[in-house]
Amino acid sequence: MNWERLLMLDRRVIFLIMALVIALPIIFPFGLPTQVTDRTQRLFDTIDATREDQAVLLSTDYTPQTEPELHPMYISILRHCFARNIKVLMVTLYIEAAGLMDVGLREVMDEFNARATTHEDSIIMGEDVVFLGWKPPPIIPILAMGQDIAGFYKQDFYNQETATMPVMQGIKNYRDISIVVAFSSGSSPLWFVQFAQTRFGVKVGAGVTAVSVADFYPYLESGQFSGLLGGMKGAAEYEELVEREVGVQGRRRATEGMSSQSAAHIAIMVFVIIGNIGYFATRRKR
Amino acid sequence: MALTLPLVLLLLLSGPTGVSVQDTPSDNGESIDVSWEMPEGVAGLVDIVVQRAGPDEEFQEIARVATDMNTYLDETAQDKIPYRYRIGYSYPDTVVFSAETEQVISTPQWFNTNYFNVAIGLAIFAVLVLIFIQQARSGRELFVRRIAGLEAVDEAVGRATEMGRAILYVPGTGYIEDIGTIASMNLLGEVAKKAAEYGVELKVPNREPVVYTVTKEIVKGAYMEVGRPDQFDPDSVFFLTRNVLAYASAVDGIMMREKPATNFLMGPFAAESLILAETGAAVGAIQIAGCDKVTQLPFFIVACDYTLIGEELYAASSYLSREPLMLGALKGQDYGKAILTIFLILATAMSLIFNVDISGWFN
Amino acid sequence: MHRKFPLGLLIFFGILGIISIFIPHPSWEAFDGMLRNKVMLIIGAFALILALGNLIRVHYLKIKRRAKHWPFSIVTLLSFFVTSIIGLFGDSGANTMDGSFRTIIGTFEFDIMTIYFKILVPLGATMFAMLAFYMASAAYRSFRAKSTLAALLLISAFIVMLGQIPVGAAISKHIPAISDIIMRIPNTASKRGIEIGVVLGMLATMLKIMTGIERSWMGGGE
Repeated sequence: MNWERLLMLDRRVIFLIMALVIALPIIFPFGLPTQVTDRTQRLFDTIDATREDQAVLLSTDYTPQTEPELHPMYISILRHCFARNIKVLMVTLYIEAAGLMDVGLREVMDEFNARATTHEDSIIMGEDVVFLGWKPPPIIPILAMGQDIAGFYKQDFYNQETATMPVMQGIKNYRDISIVVAFSSGSSPLWFVQFAQTRFGVKVGAGVTAVSVADFYPYLESGQFSGLLGGMKGAAEYEELVEREVGVQGRRRATEGMSSQSAAHIAIMVFVIIGNIGYFATRRKR
Repeated sequence: MALTLPLVLLLLLSGPTGVSVQDTPSDNGESIDVSWEMPEGVAGLVDIVVQRAGPDEEFQEIARVATDMNTYLDETAQDKIPYRYRIGYSYPDTVVFSAETEQVISTPQWFNTNYFNVAIGLAIFAVLVLIFIQQARSGRELFVRRIAGLEAVDEAVGRATEMGRAILYVPGTGYIEDIGTIASMNLLGEVAKKAAEYGVELKVPNREPVVYTVTKEIVKGAYMEVGRPDQFDPDSVFFLTRNVLAYASAVDGIMMREKPATNFLMGPFAAESLILAETGAAVGAIQIAGCDKVTQLPFFIVACDYTLIGEELYAASSYLSREPLMLGALKGQDYGKAILTIFLILATAMSLIFNVDISGWFN
Repeated sequence: MHRKFPLGLLIFFGILGIISIFIPHPSWEAFDGMLRNKVMLIIGAFALILALGNLIRVHYLKIKRRAKHWPFSIVTLLSFFVTSIIGLFGDSGANTMDGSFRTIIGTFEFDIMTIYFKILVPLGATMFAMLAFYMASAAYRSFRAKSTLAALLLISAFIVMLGQIPVGAAISKHIPAISDIIMRIPNTASKRGIEIGVVLGMLATMLKIMTGIERSWMGGGE
């Protein structure tokens, strides 16, 4: 085996192998059971314990680049809330995320309404959920919601008046919110801890990318986060919980992606092993 | 007889005790803390009622809280208005109230005493830095350990000169208020001076408009400082786009087309760090990176020749300029960290060995 | 004077920024909020004008001089102007319940979300997806067990990578637990150590700039 040539392998060959390793499992997925971790279970339990007089506040602050990891989290939490008749308030701190939130909300609403047989089963905008939209700059909405949510977001994303909406009746500020879940590729979950939790005592959960989950572990350990979803695996775990515990069937995008992610991780490990064998083989030769 | 039964029930059912009120300390006003003794062993309690009365007003209910609470933060109070409060234990058929409290007035404060320890810490740190600056002023030699990435700056600029290719300086993808960006600006000044001295082309693509205006002035000033203002090309410092990944794509394109000999990747980066660093490695450039975001450091360490880890980025301009005052500030920072480390070790030892939690001492 | 004035401004607003942390009074909060939100926005807006002017100028000159790769500059300027015209001059009106943002210029109707979903989203996702390929090539090229510590790091990396996928739990139920311990304890500890250094470095940098020791950010020569 010519290890020197192997170590000088053109990048493009590696890229081609990776492309095949990632693409083939999407076409031919191999299902593997998803083990739910404690940090995902904690978030699920906190949302599940939401009382009838409370609502869940979702804040999506991600961009299209991190959509594959974070969007499935958002979708499965929406399914969880709708299935349990939990009121949902949605905001976004970044304008780029507004479109993604809107698309995701419609998708889940259409799913539930296709199965609904009565008005109670249906998900109605303004009755079960409200998308409050985007207002700049990021910290001001977080602080304002501690006083009066409908007072700050006088109109929702679709320019409908919020104060008279049935979903907002009895929901004034963070005291009426069971948990704020922030989906972010940046640090907006920390802004909610810093401004909303410290001042108003609301629980905070987070859905973040896999690369930044390590940043948020200290907050989970200290109890400032009531749960943490990390990357596509976290999303797959939540999808598993929603299907198993709540009984909601729907497309599990993160679970589908886990086949590719598994193959990619294994491929990278194989590359590292080959690289090290080659390194030691050529070093010995010298 | 009909009246005695409710009276007897009222006597048997207990009410809240120990009710106290105070203006919420260290806040921006319109807030009053109400507290009472935790109800223990009280049977049949449904919830706890909080009532408030303004001047010449009847008591009105303002909140109902769960029975496991013994405090309530009234954030609907208005400043400078005296209020009275009473707490009621709510049973299925009746509510038993406490006596009303004395009057309390909400006012905003001018100093947040919760941050007193932060003020002390800042003051101690500032004094340390100033002490060492003063020592540097008096001519004392200050030792700073070797930082490989910064020692390589001269070599990197020299390489670009020999190869006749450009230096690419990427000042991060953060905003001007990010300290990492400011540290990068400081280092850019030093690199631009070297580039001007050696006569090598320097390109500085920017993601943020405000950062662009600052980098332009810094590079221009560097050329003026070494006496070569005519060699400054205003188009060498340019704005690309605010979208981070579009910026990374554009910088990658510059790297692939122009093949710079040296890349400096200094400042705050996010996911685009590996995209930039790996492309730079692919074109064979020598790369020196520095980032204060811990999540991106592994990518730079893997793909770059030298990486400045965390605070080494902030030390960069002091290290390169070797100005005594800046080295003094660096030493002060190091001693500040040493003191903090000693505190951490002491606190850990006290907690583990003596079971003493000192975290509450500094509130 | 041209250096003392910016330094004076810096010291004044720097001190204002520091003491704002300690003052909860609403009148101060309002003043601080005005500085941070409104004044910074105005500065940013003017800087954006300068930056866009620079963008147009640089690419126009490249096209005019037929510099290397000048066709790319045409693409840049065309994209810039088309998006700007649709965003600025189209009648986007109110958000509509059907999820579109209609831009109407005369009889020309264009859904601005088309640019977002059909161009911006796929391009951004493509760039982000490249990370997987770059990670593989970087790992193949650079991850070497050159020392005992490096070997330990590699083993930890393998455990954490396996812990992130269902295969890890399929190999051994302990792998996800060990992966979690590695992330929660040594990883968090090392991050905290670096972050403490970073924060103190930030403080020192702030003090250096405010005391006028660090002046390279001002530019402009002596």
